[in-house]
Amino acid sequence: MLTTIEPITPSTPKSTHREHALQPVIELRGVAKAFGPKRAVNNLELSIPAGSVYGFIGPNGAGKTTTIRMIMSIIFPDSGTISVLGKASAVESKDRIGYLPEERGVYRKMRVGAFLNYMGRLKGLDSAGLERRVRQWLERVSLLDCYRKKCEELSKGMQQKVQFIASVLHEPDLVILDEPFSGLDPVNRRLLRGLIDEQRAKGRTIIFSTHAMFEAEQLCTHLFMIHQGNKVLDMPMAEVWRTYDPRAVIVEPMDANGASDDRPWGNFPGVCGVTPTANGVELHLANDADPGAVMAEAARRAPARRLELKRANLEDIFINLVGGDAAALNIENERSAGSGGDA
Amino acid sequence: MKKTLRIAGREFAATVFTKAFLLGLVLPPVMMLCVFALLPILMNAASPKVKGHVSVIDRTGVVAPKILDAFTPEKLAARMAEKAKKVMEELPAPQAAKDMAKTNTGMIAKAAEAKAPSLTVQSLPVTSDPEKVKDEIRRTGDKAKNAEGDDPCLALAVIPAESLKADKDGVFGSFDFFVAPKLDVEVQSDIQRQIGRAIVDARIETNGMDVAKVRAITDAPKVEAKSVTSSGDKNINDAVKILVPGAFMFLLWIATFACGQQLLTSTIEEKSSRVMEVLLSAVSPMELLTGKILGQMAVGLMMMFLYSGAGLAALVFKNMGDIVALTNLLYLFVYFVIAFFMIASLMAAIGSAVSDIREAQSLLGPIMIVLVIPMMLWLPILRNPNSMFSQVVSFLPPISPFVMVLRISGSEPVPAWQIPATIVLGFVYVGVALWAASKVFRIGVLMYGKPPNFRTLLRWIRMA
Repeated sequence: MLTTIEPITPSTPKSTHREHALQPVIELRGVAKAFGPKRAVNNLELSIPAGSVYGFIGPNGAGKTTTIRMIMSIIFPDSGTISVLGKASAVESKDRIGYLPEERGVYRKMRVGAFLNYMGRLKGLDSAGLERRVRQWLERVSLLDCYRKKCEELSKGMQQKVQFIASVLHEPDLVILDEPFSGLDPVNRRLLRGLIDEQRAKGRTIIFSTHAMFEAEQLCTHLFMIHQGNKVLDMPMAEVWRTYDPRAVIVEPMDANGASDDRPWGNFPGVCGVTPTANGVELHLANDADPGAVMAEAARRAPARRLELKRANLEDIFINLVGGDAAALNIENERSAGSGGDA
Repeated sequence: MKKTLRIAGREFAATVFTKAFLLGLVLPPVMMLCVFALLPILMNAASPKVKGHVSVIDRTGVVAPKILDAFTPEKLAARMAEKAKKVMEELPAPQAAKDMAKTNTGMIAKAAEAKAPSLTVQSLPVTSDPEKVKDEIRRTGDKAKNAEGDDPCLALAVIPAESLKADKDGVFGSFDFFVAPKLDVEVQSDIQRQIGRAIVDARIETNGMDVAKVRAITDAPKVEAKSVTSSGDKNINDAVKILVPGAFMFLLWIATFACGQQLLTSTIEEKSSRVMEVLLSAVSPMELLTGKILGQMAVGLMMMFLYSGAGLAALVFKNMGDIVALTNLLYLFVYFVIAFFMIASLMAAIGSAVSDIREAQSLLGPIMIVLVIPMMLWLPILRNPNSMFSQVVSFLPPISPFVMVLRISGSEPVPAWQIPATIVLGFVYVGVALWAASKVFRIGVLMYGKPPNFRTLLRWIRMA
């Protein structure tokens, strides 16, 4: 499991991410794309710094995949400019990009090993040592015994791991993963999370789109939310937590009886309100309160088995940002359907 | 370019190294040889033996003995054997196959003898009632197969006295002929011919002439055309003259088609298995399209090398190597490249636009119809390779290369300027086809859902 993948010794000196650390890896300026009457992406501005893990989040059909495909130069924007790795188009630096598309598959009749070798060669890798790298990667995801199997014999999750390998085999500077977690079981989700984190640790820039909020929270350094083709949020994760700070402290006292007892929380400096929860209370912080001081005071008043600063979860932020629209849309749909359907 | 070649390599390997392909490569020629070798035997063994008698009411008194004479068992068998030989010679089969069949001549003669009808002729009295005999024939027809072992009456010829006498305009009378409805066509025509011949012989004799001499005088000479070549005059079968250009065109057609079809299915497979976008992360759509077309072209070239090489080897072995000019072979390959690029562009465009093979059918229909045209034009063009029509279709895409291959390998020389002209024009067509296909391909490969129609495809070409 802990095999280390040997680094590729580049035949031509590759620029490392450090060289252009100050310059964004991907830059979108006023990008728009329409499919017929439907505007998929509207006037999008986006700048992705090197070494970041950028999470693309949005409801189905929001424009995530369209944006990613435009970044990959698989489709072209109607207007605006895109630069990728300092070039005007991803086509010029395809070998430095690893891409796991949302619509992904394998040659069903091809053997797993042959497929990965083929993909490696297409990404510009030399044949020398390629087979060994492929084997090492397969071993990492516990699929080494599938090397000679036909791709069609693999389960969907196994195929997905093979596809992931195909996208990072050539050690790209930029890794773009479209819905990498969809269809994976919890064990493989964790495995993939580990692999992505490893790519980040190597200094690679990673973009991934997902519905899986938990994975986004765990992995992202930056968050980008898109809704109906419009950017609704784009900031570093730390800033997200700061902006959407619920300013509350969660306290769950050791003594179970203490839960219903709200006496200890009276006359609490820095706390402007108290909400009982199932196992304790939520202390809402006053505007000028110092969370640290409040937590210290809370610990003093009642020994707690859980005492933490409440953090917004992405799901709440997501629903907050797009939910209103979604609800409005639903009502409209119901109206147009006449007698309220189950929209 | 490296990536393009790598894609071509995979396409070639994925196509060629399958059992289905290898079988498909070997089976058609083997089957063709079998058919040509077996056809004469099958044709001779087709119908059951005819047994029965022919009734003749001869009112001239001199014709019947001659008819009786023509239907002795020996003469019947001899005629049958002769016929079998002739059928085989006229068969449009390659010489090799015929030679194979010729080694079986003894067998064929025997088969013919065994098959020779056992027919007898019964000369009825002049006063016999034809209607009664017709009733007998009718009964034969009703009984059909139960008549075996009997000696059923199969036919009736009534020869009037006028058949030997010319009227005042110098026209001789004919005879009446009635047959059972299920009588073997060959046997019937043989009886008819022999009776006719007997009447003519009788006419010659009653006019006081020598039958053998008159027959000899009126026998039109039969010759086989000899073609004049640099290595001397050669007997050449007319069939070969038609077959060689046909074989050239068929080779071109089958190679173009088999590989075009492969390109279509492999593109559809890449789309339906969703491997397309994975590939597009490494290569551009244009590289993918070019690589796939080149890979399939390599398959087609290999097929053509194998088939034309085998054909040429057979001809050389049979000492007929010079009926195929090497320059023609060269042209065959040039025209293959043109034909293949045109068809392949179409196929790749269609393959990229649809999601499965069923959706492709509706788009393929019109293309198939266009591509069958050269097959239908084979004989008209060969009969008149330099007619206005032949010349016009030589310049029409996408059938131009097929027509040109036919004309070049035909007997009449093609005007010299037309070969370079059609080649240059062919490459212009190829350019246009590739351009249009790349437009459709680039949009089509990522399009799922409702299959497009031709109008949508045209819109895609105009877009982007």
